[in-house]
Amino acid sequence: MKTLAAKWGLWGGYLAVLLLLPQVFDSILAISIFNQMAIAIVFALSYNMLLGQGGMLSFGHAVYFGLGGFLAVHVLRLMEFEAMYFSIALIPLIGGLTGLLAGIFVGSFSTRKAGTVFAMISLGIGELVAASSLIFTGFFGGEAGVSGDRTFGPPLFGMDFFSDTDVYYLAVFWVFVSTLFMYLFTRTPAGRMANAVRDNPERAEFIGYSARWVRFISFCAAGTFAGVAGGLFALNYEFVTDENLNLVTSGRVLLMAYIGGLGFFIGPIIGAIILTLMNFLLSNYTELFLLYLGILFVLTVLFLPRGFAGFIMMHQAAWLRGRLHGLALPYLLTGLPALLFILSAVCLLELSHASEPVLHFLGLSLARDSALSWAGLVLGAGLGAFLTARSTPGLRRAWEAANAPETRGGRERAS
Amino acid sequence: MSILSLRGLRKNFGATEIIRGVDLGIETGEKHAIIGPNGAGKSTLFHLISGKYAPSAGAIEFKGKSLANLPPHHINRLGIARSFQVTNIFPRLSVFENIRCALLWPSGYHYSFWRLLDREAGLNRETEQVLEKIGLAGRAKIPAGEIAYSEQRALELGMAIAGGAELILLDEPVAGMSHSEADHAVDLIRRVTEGKTLIMVEHDMNIVFELADRISVLVYGEVIASGAPAEIRANTQVQEAYLGEALSDA
Repeated sequence: MKTLAAKWGLWGGYLAVLLLLPQVFDSILAISIFNQMAIAIVFALSYNMLLGQGGMLSFGHAVYFGLGGFLAVHVLRLMEFEAMYFSIALIPLIGGLTGLLAGIFVGSFSTRKAGTVFAMISLGIGELVAASSLIFTGFFGGEAGVSGDRTFGPPLFGMDFFSDTDVYYLAVFWVFVSTLFMYLFTRTPAGRMANAVRDNPERAEFIGYSARWVRFISFCAAGTFAGVAGGLFALNYEFVTDENLNLVTSGRVLLMAYIGGLGFFIGPIIGAIILTLMNFLLSNYTELFLLYLGILFVLTVLFLPRGFAGFIMMHQAAWLRGRLHGLALPYLLTGLPALLFILSAVCLLELSHASEPVLHFLGLSLARDSALSWAGLVLGAGLGAFLTARSTPGLRRAWEAANAPETRGGRERAS
Repeated sequence: MSILSLRGLRKNFGATEIIRGVDLGIETGEKHAIIGPNGAGKSTLFHLISGKYAPSAGAIEFKGKSLANLPPHHINRLGIARSFQVTNIFPRLSVFENIRCALLWPSGYHYSFWRLLDREAGLNRETEQVLEKIGLAGRAKIPAGEIAYSEQRALELGMAIAGGAELILLDEPVAGMSHSEADHAVDLIRRVTEGKTLIMVEHDMNIVFELADRISVLVYGEVIASGAPAEIRANTQVQEAYLGEALSDA
């Protein structure tokens, strides 16, 4: 009963946060970021149905997102020209249905095998659809894309969708419902067998399941929710182009899910939030955004293979034993020098890339031609790296102490 | 009545013939052991029956129905379950989930994505009963990849028997176990396969003689003898080919 209450509390909290965000941060800019996040969350969660839960590495998941977006924007156009009467609130459903149909078609042959075969087919389909989108300009609008107008539908609860805030509240509904359904899917026979097939497709065959059918069902579900995200995108931007279904978008959703953590349901949500924030915070200030994103991805793969969610969950054992506080100081002792190193390295990168003679960055004025600036930054980076390296053994000892099995009374896990 | 019959069964990989014409009938309820030297084709025979490999020639019939060209999941649904020589479980799922997954299809859940597993009280009770039976109730929540080897073997056995299949194939169920673990496993196998038909491949002769009512000796892809344990022990051809050597080892 207690866990049931905790579960309801968690979902209630999720909904409350979604609903309250625009009350706390009500600038137009903030709303536009929240809309991006909402779309990214649904998209990243749908991607994790494939990779994290089903063991299918896809390089072409944007196909379902993009196709959903295109169909949705075409419906918006039909509404605009009064060729069709439809509710704006159901536009994401158009996207979802498109994603489902595309998923049924592609999944019918691509889910035969997982592993490299699946990955290569997804890459091929992604490339094929992206190329087609520039060829069949009647439907995809060529490089210019297709634009619509979301304000022609009948008003919904007094919302006419002129403002992004209206779109946000509609998005909250779809994000919440999609998250809930994707979570519940993991608790069904089909969802649990997706995990089983991911772990060991051969064994699944010998307990009565066709690994291919299990993958196909996950694939269709993932396509559906990617399409819902695409429909939300079309509503939010009123504009869909080939960029929304090409390999760049497919790559970005992979990064979101991976950086957030594939092994946890909440991982892709964290990844979607981090990447959307990074995109907003960094892309306005630096041209090196993609470089930093790449570095973040590589560092995550190397040091946090279970993503940010995995990093948080790593602390569960220490937390349950009430020993988390013992880690605070060691984290600080390692974290501060690491921060110094990162900031110095970022300054070095920015300075070597600067087009102006003097770079104003992080409150510093760095001159490109001044040996002092360069020397100071190199010194900062070196000192940061040195102190980080010096303090890691201490952190490791503190970590082991916090996670050491209890000497008495505690039940240990067999290794 | 024969529950399983193999007739003129052959399997070759390229030019190499592994199974060279096997005729064998397994009676309902019998505990049948297949023994033979390494490379005799015992595991291949299991792979043919369970559908992992397709036969090159010959027929396999289960309860009078041909298994030719059926994929493994169809064969399993007919009532044939198996374990593997090398532990073959779902390592990242909990012990509980492993057993529950094995129960899903036979309990009629199939590919449903509209029912929540945690609400299926009957299914979960049945899962717990299987865990009790195989002695892993205390390990239910631990990922299957993290439990001890002998526990994984018990889990493997549990997955094979969970669905209530009529015919159970066990491929070296006690391989790699210590003596006491093996004794424990023999008890377990006897208990959980009660009333079912069992075919097992096993190297350890003590265990074979303890569990089996009938033994077939497979040498280089052919059954050279088949009969009650006492007959097999007395068979001179078998002694020459295999048994004497194995018995002196034991």
